[in-house]
Amino acid sequence: MRSSRTLGLIMIAPAAIMIVLFFLMPVVLTAVFSFTNMTTATGISGGAYQIAPNSLIALKDEMPEVVQQLTEPRYAIDEEGIKGVEGLALGPGIATELREKHLGEVFSSRREAERMIKDLNDRPSTRDVKQISEQFNRSVANLRFSSKEDLFASLDKFGFKMTSEQKEGLASATYTGWSWTTENFSRIASSPDMAQILFNTLLYVALVLVLFNTSYAMLLAIWTHYMPNTQATIFRSVWLLPRITPVVIYVLMWKWLAWDTGFISTFMGKFGYSPKNYLLDNAYNAWLFVVLINGFIGASMGMLVFSSALKAIPKSQFFASEVDGASRWQQIRYIILPQMRWPILFVTCYQTLSLLASFNEILLSTRGGPGKATEVWSLAAYHTALNNYAGNLEYGLGAAMALVLVIIGIILSLAYLRVFNYATLVARPLIED
Amino acid sequence: MAEKSQPSANYRTWPVVLALAIVSLPLVLMYAYLFIDTITDKQPAALMPDTLTLRHWTFLWQTPPGRPNIWLVTLNTLIFTASTTAVVLLVSSMAGYVLSRLNVPARGFFLAGVMVLHAFPSVTLIIAIFIVLQMVGLYNSLIGVILVKAAIDLPLGIWLMKGFYDSVPWEIEMAGVVDGASRFRVWRSLVLPQVRPAIMALALFSFLSGWGEFILPQVLAPGGQVQVLSVYLSGLIADDNNFDFGTFKAVGVFYVIPVLLLYGFFHKYLMNIYGGGSKG
Repeated sequence: MRSSRTLGLIMIAPAAIMIVLFFLMPVVLTAVFSFTNMTTATGISGGAYQIAPNSLIALKDEMPEVVQQLTEPRYAIDEEGIKGVEGLALGPGIATELREKHLGEVFSSRREAERMIKDLNDRPSTRDVKQISEQFNRSVANLRFSSKEDLFASLDKFGFKMTSEQKEGLASATYTGWSWTTENFSRIASSPDMAQILFNTLLYVALVLVLFNTSYAMLLAIWTHYMPNTQATIFRSVWLLPRITPVVIYVLMWKWLAWDTGFISTFMGKFGYSPKNYLLDNAYNAWLFVVLINGFIGASMGMLVFSSALKAIPKSQFFASEVDGASRWQQIRYIILPQMRWPILFVTCYQTLSLLASFNEILLSTRGGPGKATEVWSLAAYHTALNNYAGNLEYGLGAAMALVLVIIGIILSLAYLRVFNYATLVARPLIED
Repeated sequence: MAEKSQPSANYRTWPVVLALAIVSLPLVLMYAYLFIDTITDKQPAALMPDTLTLRHWTFLWQTPPGRPNIWLVTLNTLIFTASTTAVVLLVSSMAGYVLSRLNVPARGFFLAGVMVLHAFPSVTLIIAIFIVLQMVGLYNSLIGVILVKAAIDLPLGIWLMKGFYDSVPWEIEMAGVVDGASRFRVWRSLVLPQVRPAIMALALFSFLSGWGEFILPQVLAPGGQVQVLSVYLSGLIADDNNFDFGTFKAVGVFYVIPVLLLYGFFHKYLMNIYGGGSKG
């Protein structure tokens, strides 16, 4: 059955290509980028060597004599300068003689260069000498070199005397692109900000997971389970609304509820409280709203999973227990909960990962504020790499933070694979040999 | 029998209904006011609206300065969502079939990979995707976001389609093969019609998730010419100078109505996905 194998390969190719390009490659690249110091300043493609004034200032303490040399002007007799002299419309012999006798010479001061010009056969006037020497005034400052070799060649050409160590030092100080580093990880490990963010993340995941994604979802499932069908459907639909509503509108509604011109402020105004922004008023309120906003969305998945699990429990068990005089609480305690172990495990596992990575709602509602009170890991990675107030986006550090989540993601996903019995999924096709 | 078969009919239901109604109140309130506020005006300190007005809806025919035209944005959103849905449907209905029925090399490996990716928090990759799109020059283009969004929705799609293909009886294919049809023909004409509910569900899910997608377009295509509605609306909300909940909500209602209509008509298809799969 070779034909079906070929067909299979053809049919799976688009999926494989897309997943490799936009899923697996980003995973690998996240790891790669996390070992760089890429920022907006370094750019994302390779950089250049530029002897900019600020890099000289930065070098001053390390290599004072190098900086001293570099800031002095140099006079190099090159083709470009000779063309400039030709353009000055002086005696034609001057340019010719310069090209023949002095091309490639470098003078370390204006005086030396001018002495040479004065000695030319045409003997230019003092005013002309100044004009001519100006054509050869070269400075390495603010020149860009595309490679290290170009930089060194140019330094040699201008007659700067440096040891190769000094050259290397200059090269690394003037490099504008990104380079490899492990600094991102030591920053993550040592910064107190990161510890705070880690704590926030754990708190956020724990609160939403326990309060809403499992407990409240279970409550919803059990409540609607005991209701007539129509009412149950209505309530389930209401609690599914947050999930299907685009997140921007959903958060807008919470803002309407919480902002200083919003519902709560207006409502509390009736009782003499002055209006305020309940969302960003203080850290506790911000946390309350972050948990509520995410919880209201998260509750629906648990509700659906638990509801279908409840439907799967044989009705006879309930009827039998009622005949035996069980109270509703006893039904929940002895019939429902013991049979819900598996769905609860599934929801908890699945939602942990989703919560760790979700930051849309927090970004749109509190932006991690007030201060950094509600900044969680994924949001911090986003802020570091893609959107921060300082304007210099630290792609490398952000990627390193994302990599932490990627690793957690891979570990948890592999764990699910074990838990949810992968073997049953890979039963071999029946038609094939 | 339907009503009677509900368990514990000898208990009263109204306390449960009441309790659930109370906790559901904030949601109901928010959605009710979302619609009411767009067509009414009220005094600053009032809770109840007092006049009817259409002024919040002027964004439909007047483009505010510094913002793209709403119809251009809507068109972008539609193109983005429809293309994503089409790609996801096409690619995952093929790949799902291969994983369910055909014997390809590394099938088990591929299946495990899709399973892992399905549970994987794709949003953590956004930094790398951003840098890559900038390098290849697809930053700020709809094509880039469409491809990325489709790729991110793919594992769920493949997984779902595979599940549905698995439930199609082998006899149908055996019969087709015995009658001399090629495997491709069997898939096209015999198997695909069998999984129409899955295609419906996946199409709906893709459409809703694409329509609501915020962070990908925000990061990968924030420019005015390629803006989608979610980015447009978040830009409005972030603009502190012209603060007007009425207008925000009108844009919001304009944006959410397609979602609610689709959900209203087809929600029974969606339950399969929301129950088992989607994230969040």
